[in-house]
Amino acid sequence: MPDNRRLSGPKAGVLALFSLALATSASACSKSNKPDCSSPEVFCVGVVTDVGKVDDKSFNQSTWEGVQRAQKELGANGKYIETTDPKDYGKNIAAFADEKYDVVVTIGFALGEATREGAAKYPDTHFIGVDQFQPPGTEKKNLATLVFPEDYAGFQVGALAALVSKSGKIGAVLATDAVPPVWRYGEGFKAGARYAKPDIDLNVVYHNDVGIEKTFSDPEWGKTTAISMIDKGTDIIFGGGGKTGNGALIGAAAKGVYAIGVDTDQYNTVPEAQKFMLTSAMKLLDEGVFDLLKQGKDGKWSSGNVLGKAGHAPYHDLDGKVPEAARAKVEEIQKALQSGALKTNVPPTKS
Amino acid sequence: MAVTEGAEPNALRDRVRKLLGPWVVPALAVVTALILGAGLIALAGGDPLSAYAGMLEGSLGSVNAVAETLLWATPYIFTGLSVSLAFQGGLFNIGAEGQLALGATAGALVGYALPHLLGVNLPAVVHVPLTILTGGVAGGLWGALPGWLKARTGAHEVISTIMLNYVALNAVTFLLNGPMKDPSPENVIARTPLIADSAQLSPIFSGVRLHWGFPLALLVTALVTWMLRRTTLGFEIRTVGANPEAAKYAGMHVSRTIVVSMALSGALAGLAGAIEESALNHRHELGFSQGYGFDAIAIALLGKARPEGVLPAALLFAMMRSGAPRMQFLTQIPVDVISVIQALILLFVAADVMVRRLYRLKGERERVVITRGWG
Repeated sequence: MPDNRRLSGPKAGVLALFSLALATSASACSKSNKPDCSSPEVFCVGVVTDVGKVDDKSFNQSTWEGVQRAQKELGANGKYIETTDPKDYGKNIAAFADEKYDVVVTIGFALGEATREGAAKYPDTHFIGVDQFQPPGTEKKNLATLVFPEDYAGFQVGALAALVSKSGKIGAVLATDAVPPVWRYGEGFKAGARYAKPDIDLNVVYHNDVGIEKTFSDPEWGKTTAISMIDKGTDIIFGGGGKTGNGALIGAAAKGVYAIGVDTDQYNTVPEAQKFMLTSAMKLLDEGVFDLLKQGKDGKWSSGNVLGKAGHAPYHDLDGKVPEAARAKVEEIQKALQSGALKTNVPPTKS
Repeated sequence: MAVTEGAEPNALRDRVRKLLGPWVVPALAVVTALILGAGLIALAGGDPLSAYAGMLEGSLGSVNAVAETLLWATPYIFTGLSVSLAFQGGLFNIGAEGQLALGATAGALVGYALPHLLGVNLPAVVHVPLTILTGGVAGGLWGALPGWLKARTGAHEVISTIMLNYVALNAVTFLLNGPMKDPSPENVIARTPLIADSAQLSPIFSGVRLHWGFPLALLVTALVTWMLRRTTLGFEIRTVGANPEAAKYAGMHVSRTIVVSMALSGALAGLAGAIEESALNHRHELGFSQGYGFDAIAIALLGKARPEGVLPAALLFAMMRSGAPRMQFLTQIPVDVISVIQALILLFVAADVMVRRLYRLKGERERVVITRGWG
């Protein structure tokens, strides 16, 4: 009879599947632990990423690394939620705030509005908005927005490029200068290069001839522009502005000249250009977030727009190619900028 | 003895079987995908039970959680109906994403520009329906185009709808960067101005985001079911879908029916976009749809391309998406798990032979005719 065969092959497969799932879940069961965030002794930090993964080798990852450091050094309980759809921003913030987390860290410009709303809705929760900005006069008491001086970062790598260049010709290939951070990187680069070497031959090009959407997503333009500069003797290219900037880095690597990236350590994000990545002009998100968390842990929460630190990425494969004098000069510049002894004189926006 | 005992339950069993029969494979597909998903979660170092518990808690655990799940379900229901309606007509509409984007764009235009254009403030009772219906019309026209191409030239709708997605999405990108861009000085991204207050679909209760789009989705589901089952048009759509030769022989206007099916399908997707924009975003901006039009294909297949099947399928997908943040909050496993489970569901529904073999299901392999060949 057919009924007698019921426990043969396929049915047994299903059973095996079930028991496998049960066994694995049972073994993992003991791991669940939920910190009591409402207790004053327990310091809880929730991170809401922008649409994307927490290990994106970019802003999400750098911020999360700052929180991980807080876990290690401050004993914080850190958790993250990866946003999959912009309409969940508010919900993901609430997920932490409702559980009485001490602080909610949100990452990126796009979350700015949801973060301000969250800060208004949860006055007892502290918020850190990474790479966000509060217009003067509208600052919230429980919200610190972490802004970064792109011009400092541009200044450092500009000086480095001027000192490392052999031909005395350096170039920058950037997206539109209508977007303030891009402008500050570019003008900082100019100022830094001139500061380190007044007679440097500088060529800074913005992709202003196309619309705002295209200007950040035109790797082909970035690449060809970089290559045409290199053909005229330029031996270091600073590329910035989404895929357009990445295109410039790839163009430089294709021609075998040094490339400098932006925002995060692009040695990790543009593998095609890895061998020629001199450094990147970086926003030090991890340090900025960690510093704010440390102050908060000590009961001194910041609010308003907080100026984070800017720096440059490690030299990685090219470590041996950077002369000691240039290396020292860049470190000196970084310290002087941070302390205020040195000014970039770059206005925050064009015009 | 066995006969007398078996007679009564058998009648009952037959009725149950007739009612539930078509849903055995989809249900088992979901169960199998969840079991495999549990294994995957365990491999990723998580605890499957607390992950699924978190998903349930996040999607149904409180009044607000339920409201958020229904909020997620709203665009899924509309786009799921869109793809299902086309399936019923023997057409595979992969263009829902583009139709949705155009619907949202057209709706936004009416939402922010019409009061200025007319120089008067419209009352919400006029402005909201106008905003949403314009979205439906825009999506419908965009959907009718591949229908017309198929009826006229035989161009296969799978190819033309995929291609037209690119045309639509790039056209929208252009509009949002150019003529329709929010002119406020602090704006640097591709988005329209905010739509007028009178064009905003309101929440059902204050304090939650769930809006009237959800009851509307239920109403439209009923309407589409009724249209397909009870009207001449519905009969024509189904007949053309099942056998266009026979439909032609029976005197039906096959080309016209194809165009109408695609137009209605596109209109449903356009409504999804316009409602989402009118009720939630209050403007159209790039990246607002994270693929509702593509998830819709999986939802329609899980619902066996029937409107009454789309509803539970859309709710299931909405539960997974809406519960994912809570799941991740509790377990810190990657939310990608949800996408993998949804893909597995789709796989098991599409390749139903696997499910039937695995669970030794008997019965004829009744299949949805999803699309016809190149003829």
